[in-house]
Amino acid sequence: MVEERLLFRQRAARYFVILKSYMAQYLKTKMAYRTDFFVQVFSDVLQQAVNLIFILVVFSKVPEIKGWTRDEVLFIYGFFLVPFGIYSGFFNHLFDVPEKYVLQGEFDRILIRPINAWYQVVVETMKPELMVDIVIGIVIMVYSGRAMNLSPVWWDLPLALALIFGATLIYAGVYTALASLGFWTEGNIGLMPMVYNLSQYGRFPMTIYRGPVKFILTWILPFAFVGFYPAALLMHRYEFTGYALLTPAVGIICFTVAYRIWTAGIRRYRGTGS
Amino acid sequence: MHEGNSLKPAPQTHFMNRLLLYLELVRMEFVNNLAYRASYFTGIFNYSIQIGAYFFLWDAVYSGQRVIGGLNKEEMLTYVIVAWVVRSFYFSNLDRRVGTDIRDGKIALELIRPYSYQMVKFARAFGEAIFRMIFFALPAGIFIYLIRPFGLPPGWHNTLVFLISLLGSFVIYAQVSMLAGFVVFFTKSPSGVYKAKRVVMDLFSGLLLPISFYPDWAVKVIKLFPFQTVSYMPNLIYLGKISGAAAFNVIGLQWFWIAVLALFSALFWEFAVKHVVIQGG
Amino acid sequence: MALIEARGLTKEFRIFRRREGVLGAFKDLFHRNYRTLKAVDGIDFIVEKGEMVGYIGANGAGKSTTIKMLTGILVPTAGTMQVNGYVPYRDREVYTRGIGVVFGQRSQLWWDIAVIESFKLLRRIYDVSIDDFNWRLKRFNDILELDKLLYLPVRKLSLGQRMRCDLAAALIHNPAILFLDEPTIGLDVLAKSRIRDFLKEINREYRTTVILTTHDLGDIEALCPRVAIIDKGKMLYDGSVESLYSHWGQDKLEDIVKRIYQGHRPGSVKGVKKGGVGLA
Repeated sequence: MVEERLLFRQRAARYFVILKSYMAQYLKTKMAYRTDFFVQVFSDVLQQAVNLIFILVVFSKVPEIKGWTRDEVLFIYGFFLVPFGIYSGFFNHLFDVPEKYVLQGEFDRILIRPINAWYQVVVETMKPELMVDIVIGIVIMVYSGRAMNLSPVWWDLPLALALIFGATLIYAGVYTALASLGFWTEGNIGLMPMVYNLSQYGRFPMTIYRGPVKFILTWILPFAFVGFYPAALLMHRYEFTGYALLTPAVGIICFTVAYRIWTAGIRRYRGTGS
Repeated sequence: MHEGNSLKPAPQTHFMNRLLLYLELVRMEFVNNLAYRASYFTGIFNYSIQIGAYFFLWDAVYSGQRVIGGLNKEEMLTYVIVAWVVRSFYFSNLDRRVGTDIRDGKIALELIRPYSYQMVKFARAFGEAIFRMIFFALPAGIFIYLIRPFGLPPGWHNTLVFLISLLGSFVIYAQVSMLAGFVVFFTKSPSGVYKAKRVVMDLFSGLLLPISFYPDWAVKVIKLFPFQTVSYMPNLIYLGKISGAAAFNVIGLQWFWIAVLALFSALFWEFAVKHVVIQGG
Repeated sequence: MALIEARGLTKEFRIFRRREGVLGAFKDLFHRNYRTLKAVDGIDFIVEKGEMVGYIGANGAGKSTTIKMLTGILVPTAGTMQVNGYVPYRDREVYTRGIGVVFGQRSQLWWDIAVIESFKLLRRIYDVSIDDFNWRLKRFNDILELDKLLYLPVRKLSLGQRMRCDLAAALIHNPAILFLDEPTIGLDVLAKSRIRDFLKEINREYRTTVILTTHDLGDIEALCPRVAIIDKGKMLYDGSVESLYSHWGQDKLEDIVKRIYQGHRPGSVKGVKKGGVGLA
């Protein structure tokens, strides 16, 4: 047991060093194309600006939407951007797996290196500059929190971290699972943009959705947990506390299942038992 | 018959021949796309999801409200659906195509061919657009209509002018995309530019919000650009908010902008080609 | 125990045959036609430490599939193998620390950054100490003359230059075995001979075992005392290059191989057909 723990610690340290090296590498690549780097960041900020404009313009016409005020909707959006930023930085480009890695055979290269394959793909495809969304999100949260006179309590911060952790795992899980399908389909089948658009539903209060949509967003593709549920709790609206507290558990389950699918996909790629 | 053979200078290409070439390209791209039908079916669901998001949102926004920005609830929901369905027709990723040609140096290869590079790109994009109209926009429209019926244009006159305006939407969107693609002459991996183009177009064309929702000063600024003729104005024709001579004026305005953009694009091309020659690709 | 010991190694693929036309595509949705292809069919392959073995065969004969099994990428359908003390497909993450792989068609280096940066990253991936790293880099530099290349991005390198860098990259962690899949493909005469010299030197100095697939028989003549020939998934010949000449009574390797690919089988080869023959 002790030995195992030691081994785990060594491995974690090694993987951290590798992450750092990849980051350094990435920065150097980006500095080779500096304009492009800034254009990329700029376009991302622009995208968020447009989303923000949308909310502000709508609320310039109506005082509230189904019981949610402008500041509350802004707060949800702000929270949403934090796990979304981590996802954009690290997991969005799992998108490349079906086409680039499986179809074009780049995965061979991954398999001849002594590091976990999933980890390698993530660090190879990350775009850490997109984490700029986290900053935007925090600014929006602070602004809207102040505007609605939210008084912080001591448990806000640890709770926020746990909720962000869970939400991030949901993203990681969903995208890992989708990427894994590439091992079977050997190419893109267009599911990723679909799921991406669905994830954007998490930016708004669940109360505006009708029919099976709420159910799907809670229990099937749990994007209600990446924005609305946890954000409601953090702004001290307690109607959805039960759901909000489930966020870390949903994240862990989601990622565990997804990672299983991933390993099954790799087994298929390597031709186990056929 | 061919008497003096290949040594003779190539005959001056006739306008008709050019047109036939471009028509052939339109056809070719259409057929090409048939091979990828499957991805269009997932695409329809994709659009439905996006339309759904705005549908629910506007439905909720209007719950205590009768008219906003000159549109009532039913008109607004129709606006959203029509705007997105039509976008699946006029949308083009010419920026990506042109950008890839430039980045991979294929552009040099294109320059030695006896045709206009821009026209070839437009022709192919148009072939794809027709394909998307038939296999994407129409089925998506019908699919959504079956789930949730939406309003139809008030008469044949508006329907016709609306359809004509879509051609303008396509051309303007394609022109702006092409200009965005040219940016690749100056930056190496241009995904940021593509994204910026898409985001700006979606906002200022009126896809996300009808222009009448913006504050007055913003409306004045937006009027200085061609964007609102891509989505906002055609949608108003569809809804019957613009009719008669005013509707024809929209078409006129579109073609005015098409001429301006064409000029712009030709100048840019001239400049960029010199750039290529100097840089060697 | 030998360094590489594979027995009865077999790999089957199920190939999905698409039917033609719209109707065919529709049928495929419900019922798929599969065909089993034996890419590698029960081969034995034993290699001792320090050997250099050429592994040749016509296109589609099963070379790459074998290499992919030996490097731990693919899991064999049947057979046993142990390489460098590990079962490659099972112990992938540990096993791959001890091997180096070069795919001639695909660079392992990062496209947009200077070569040296790729090396630094690989140092992290394979956990190489800084002293070993510097020493080896210097050594490779001496033979391959990398110093001018190290500070250029890979996309600016010629194919020969890129291959030199790729080779150094695959050896930066001093692997026990080096797998080379067509390392000289598309290179000019000078670049080829430089790579061959380097491989000889590495093999002599570090006793690195080298397994090399190639279509250029010059590689075999220059480097490999032993050659294995695979055809339609089966091992046709595994032995010394010298005895190959004597069995066929030809004096050009190219002619022998051409005849083998065409399907000729001289009676006298029978005796050396089954694995492990011609070991040093």
